Amino acid sequence: MKAIGDIPDSQLLLFKSCMVGQEYPGVETSTCYVFDRLGIDYCINDEQSCCTGIGHYTDIFEGLTTAAIGARNFAVAKRCGYPNITCLCSTCYAVNKEACEVLNTNTEVREKVNSIFREQGLENLVYEKDDMNPRTNFYHAIEILLSKVDKIKEQKKFDFSRVKTASHHACHYYKVKYLDVLGNPENPQLIDNIAAACGAEPVRWYEDRTLTCGMGFSQLHLNKSTSLQVTKTKLDSLQKAGIELMLHMCPNCQIQYDRYQPVIEKEFGVKYDMVHMNIAQFVALSMGAHPYKVCGFQTHSVPLEGFLEKYGII
Amino acid sequence: MIPYVNEYDTPECKTLAETAKKSIRTPASLGLDRCIQCGACTASCPAARFTDYSPRQIVKKVLENDRSVLESEMIWSCFYCYSCNLRCPRNNSPVTIVQVLRQMAINEGIGVEKLAYFLEIGEYLAENGASKVPGAGVKNMERDLGERWIRFKKNLESTRVELGLSSRDIRNTHGEVQAILEATGYFEREKWLKAKIQEKLLHQLLENQCIKRENRSGDFGFESDRRYPGQPAFII
Repeated sequence: MKAIGDIPDSQLLLFKSCMVGQEYPGVETSTCYVFDRLGIDYCINDEQSCCTGIGHYTDIFEGLTTAAIGARNFAVAKRCGYPNITCLCSTCYAVNKEACEVLNTNTEVREKVNSIFREQGLENLVYEKDDMNPRTNFYHAIEILLSKVDKIKEQKKFDFSRVKTASHHACHYYKVKYLDVLGNPENPQLIDNIAAACGAEPVRWYEDRTLTCGMGFSQLHLNKSTSLQVTKTKLDSLQKAGIELMLHMCPNCQIQYDRYQPVIEKEFGVKYDMVHMNIAQFVALSMGAHPYKVCGFQTHSVPLEGFLEKYGII
Repeated sequence: MIPYVNEYDTPECKTLAETAKKSIRTPASLGLDRCIQCGACTASCPAARFTDYSPRQIVKKVLENDRSVLESEMIWSCFYCYSCNLRCPRNNSPVTIVQVLRQMAINEGIGVEKLAYFLEIGEYLAENGASKVPGAGVKNMERDLGERWIRFKKNLESTRVELGLSSRDIRNTHGEVQAILEATGYFEREKWLKAKIQEKLLHQLLENQCIKRENRSGDFGFESDRRYPGQPAFII
């Protein structure tokens, strides 16, 4: 189990996420906004590539490709002196952590990956055993936020005390490497504790709290009706619990809930009252960030204007 | 066409269980042999809740070395949410075993048509260092998400600039990602997959003209399970 005290606040490589970049770019800018105000030492490096997650979990990339791309990104992180890979997306987190574990423990794979690098004249990418530690070099950006809740509390600018929030904790953070997470994967509180630091009122429990978002990688595209049924189940129980704001930690989940909430409303003839944000967007907003120039709320499918007006932000 | 052997995901072994245990996709500590068929995986599974998918049955088929599991539509229903991985009391991981089974099926050309949709991801990654929703997915999203999303997508570059980001999320990988995908055999396999998909589509076309296609879904399971219709979904 991870301990909050062990979460680093320096030498963090903020690992760019493809889905954040293309769907919710405000998640990246909000995270930077908050990190800057919390005094976090981090960098963003354009040499870093996609982790392969989308292709890996749609079954098109094989394990060797995923391990080799992982090794290349680890070399990028080490070379720039920011070896603590800090992800915006829970799938990047799981894929990187797993690639590191494979490279450390599977000699055959490590040697094959290194022989590929040497063949291609990429000696600078060669990965030696234990170059990275799967437990201490990989984080999710919100773990950093949780480790700084006191400062987040000090810097809050708005009164969110009437906002009833619920959290959707990402499967690929809590259920893949479930022994190395903050808190109990059966009853996660990570996002709730950060939301509470912003003054919000998180609900303690709602039905199907740990149910997946329903995106399921290929499922949204190949088995859409099942995928949306899963999403609807959770939205139904949030509606029943009277939730105003649903908070996320993964762009894939955010796409599924924010983008598809209006689709579910139309296809199933239902109506939901909640809006969606990534927890980093909520923290940034709470610290006074501009809702459109930093948080990027114009990219959302469920309009946030009603929420922003209600709490005196716009 | 000869099968494509993907030696790290699907090492050639005598049994399905051995292949699953040796695969790069499953952890070294995989508790496959320790499975007690308790069904915690199926009870935790979102796919099992809404369809007749059963990770417990899949694990049983693997332990029985019943290769018909590779032809079952069932293996394509997993969400990869890892709930079974978290809840298994024996440190087994049906979700990673299913990943291996899908790779084994693909090697034999089963289900390859499902990959057609996603193949673009590889080429895009090699060129731009990032991944994206494939073109067919974008078309679906345009249809589902409508005007608001289409408008947002059109304005994405200016929105990113307004946020202080580069106009497009393109990474500077110095051609290294391209070189890696070539050297790991990804492109070679992609070529094989495309040919296989073509072959299958042609075959299907011819088959459709002669015989009515039989519905294969739901042909999987124990006798007793087949009679059990499953619980209706509990909607709150």
